[in-house]
Amino acid sequence: MDYTKKIVRYSNYWYNDGLRKAQIRDLTGAILSLRRSLQFNKGNIAARNLLGLVYYGRGEVAEALVEWIISKNMRPRDNIANEYIQRVQDASRQLDVMNQAIKKYNQCLVLCAQGGEDMAVLQLRKVISAHPSFVKAYQLLALLYLKKEQYAKAKPLLRTAAKLDTTNEMTLRYQHELSLHKGSRPRREEKKKEKKKKTTIEYKLGNDTIIQPAYHMVKSLAGKFTLMNIVVGGLIGAAIVWYLVVPTVNEAKANRTNKQIIEYSEQINAMDAQISAMTRTLDNYRAADADSEAAAQTAASTSDSYENLMAASEQYNSGSYTSDAIADTLLNINRDVLGASGQAAYDELAGEVFSAACDTKYEAGIEALNVANYDSAIDNLSKVVRMKESYDDGGALLNLGLAYLRNGDNGNAAAYLKKVTEQFPDTEYAQEAANNLNTISQNADSDKSKDSKE
Amino acid sequence: MLDFDEELKKFKPSLDVEDIEDAVYQEDLFDVTDLLKQVMSQQTN
Repeated sequence: MDYTKKIVRYSNYWYNDGLRKAQIRDLTGAILSLRRSLQFNKGNIAARNLLGLVYYGRGEVAEALVEWIISKNMRPRDNIANEYIQRVQDASRQLDVMNQAIKKYNQCLVLCAQGGEDMAVLQLRKVISAHPSFVKAYQLLALLYLKKEQYAKAKPLLRTAAKLDTTNEMTLRYQHELSLHKGSRPRREEKKKEKKKKTTIEYKLGNDTIIQPAYHMVKSLAGKFTLMNIVVGGLIGAAIVWYLVVPTVNEAKANRTNKQIIEYSEQINAMDAQISAMTRTLDNYRAADADSEAAAQTAASTSDSYENLMAASEQYNSGSYTSDAIADTLLNINRDVLGASGQAAYDELAGEVFSAACDTKYEAGIEALNVANYDSAIDNLSKVVRMKESYDDGGALLNLGLAYLRNGDNGNAAAYLKKVTEQFPDTEYAQEAANNLNTISQNADSDKSKDSKE
Repeated sequence: MLDFDEELKKFKPSLDVEDIEDAVYQEDLFDVTDLLKQVMSQQTN
């Protein structure tokens, strides 16, 4: 037989075993069998779904959802896990209650580790009432009662845990522990009877059996030492108050304080949840606001671009505008937001106009640079660069960089000069750009050293 | 007789709903078929 068939057969064998155990609510045994089935074949969907169901039966809803989600990912259609997940999602309120109960249970584990068993008992009672199928909570509460020797309270909890999961080793061990303490009770009663017997003396006088109270020194001397009895009685009374009444009062106070602490912590948790929900809502509003603002800006940009395209087209068709003026209109257009036909119209107009416009603007820019009118030079040359970055084999970039440099804007100057050295190496323009870049870096270094001295 | 502290150590925190996503990714999905494939690939190498 092919080994894959054998593996599938073994997987199915353990699935059937798990199913039999689940049917008699032997959930621990079922989990072991189903896990083994999945070790043979992780794609055994029926085994995985049943494993989820078994976890759900023990009140471990998150573990159940994990198995169902994996099952759903493995087989998205014709899978009962979809229905299980849907049902859990539909009962979202109940899921939330169970999840809160699980969180409280986890908190109780921490409390127990820190010695806060009284508070843990109170919390676990709430956990069980909110999530009555949560086996682990019953077991932990039973353990706490066993520790406090409150066996009568532990007993029904263990019985319920055993009903939910019949062969859970922990439940069975605790029940065994409970049974040991039950057995010790009759022995105590026997001892009490023996004590009672010792308080009487039996003897025979002829055929009659005479039962006489045992002789007590205290009783015999009671009449003589009445005052001493009163003093002893007073002392005993004080001791009873000190050892029995005061601790009870203190315990009641501690319980009240514990309850208050629990209530406060629950209130804090609720407020935290409210704050986080409100923060999330606020973030959503902010995100939505930012999105709508961006969409509005894009729409405005698109509208402006089309208007400018139409204006440029009219200017060109009228024949009464210079290439320079039409280019200015075209430069106000964001080509990327146009549709395919819009982009084609833009490219056609640009092809007709930009070449002549570059000549005019470059000439105007150089003239402005020579007469130290740097703002005008920057305006004209930057338009030339936008229309054709390689104009005059880097001349436009170089002169724009020089205009920025002489205008005191070293950042922009360096950016454009660097482009000249990168795009047109081994040219005169590149050499001039490199010289000016050196000057900029030297000036920056001297400025830094001045600042550090100051 | 039960040792309370030892018993307490056997109780592990239960998974809550917020941790499901991580648990799904951490689930061990290695089965016998994967093991056989691994062994066979090692033999061929």
